[in-house]
Amino acid sequence: MPEHEPWLTALFNDHLAGVANAVLALFGQKTVERPWSTALATEILVVAIIVLFFAFLRSRLSMDRPGKLQQSVEVIYEFLYTQSEEQVGHAGPQHLVLFGTLFIFILCCNLIGIIPAFESPTMSPEVPLGCALVTLGYYNFMGVREHGVGKYLAHFAGPIWWMAPLMIPIEIVSHLARPLSLTVRLFANMYAGEQVTLAFLGVTYLVAPAIFMGLHVFVSFLQAYIFALMAMMYVNGAVAHDH
Amino acid sequence: MNTKLFLLLAAMLIFASPIFAQTPISGADEIGKWVAITSGFSMAIASGLCGLAQAKAVASSAEAMARNPGASAAIRFALLLGLILIESLALYTFAIIIVKVKVGG
Repeated sequence: MPEHEPWLTALFNDHLAGVANAVLALFGQKTVERPWSTALATEILVVAIIVLFFAFLRSRLSMDRPGKLQQSVEVIYEFLYTQSEEQVGHAGPQHLVLFGTLFIFILCCNLIGIIPAFESPTMSPEVPLGCALVTLGYYNFMGVREHGVGKYLAHFAGPIWWMAPLMIPIEIVSHLARPLSLTVRLFANMYAGEQVTLAFLGVTYLVAPAIFMGLHVFVSFLQAYIFALMAMMYVNGAVAHDH
Repeated sequence: MNTKLFLLLAAMLIFASPIFAQTPISGADEIGKWVAITSGFSMAIASGLCGLAQAKAVASSAEAMARNPGASAAIRFALLLGLILIESLALYTFAIIIVKVKVGG
């Protein structure tokens, strides 16, 4: 028996199945009957909400008389700015594009799962994997752009040159473990939060699940911050100049 | 006292021996039963050790904040970072359990 689809996914599948199947056919994959997955449909909704919010904010921006919305968003911006300056150094805020996007996207993805009719996109392992792979590509690209290809790869050999045959496999494995840990941390936290709430919903019905949903909100904020912070640390490791 | 505990444990284990007379089940169902048992134990061990490690982190950071309230911000940052990284270790075990439960059926 197919599991019950959330209404948003059913909406996408009923009306836009052709679009998704066309994209699948473009890449040589088999077409499926109901191609949209819940994660993808909810992700698109999250992106639409974020874009509309910032478009609305953009129309309200003012230098002389900032309104409440602008000041609240400025708090978030200041927070990310100071964190990136602290972690990456003076040129940190250049990378605020990635850090801010990761933080806000992952935060909104996590929080949309609290609303009863929706499911967090970050609950499916693909979405955190996507964010982690983007981070991996970004920090390596920034490292290459800063140091040049040869010097950046020479960093893998470690400080002492004759330990390079030992250091290089260790460094490669640790670099590959970074997106793995980012993915599993975010996915498992969100999945476990939902499963715990469901488990308590099966047992009792008002207070205990609500407490766990509150914990889940707190964990959502923390996990979004940690993902962005880890990205900052990796960019710092790639871009920093040792004196 | 320790001898008594040891004898009690040995008696409990010996009294459990009739379980070896159970007829074995074959096929994928057996894997499912093993997964059910071992996932419980592994998650319990992972969560217990994670709890111990986080307790140590929180205890030392609380003490450090009490000694040096001026450095509270930095200590709080290090505390949060450490707690999240330790938490993620327990969650790796959970992720493996999810993978095995989905595969084992």
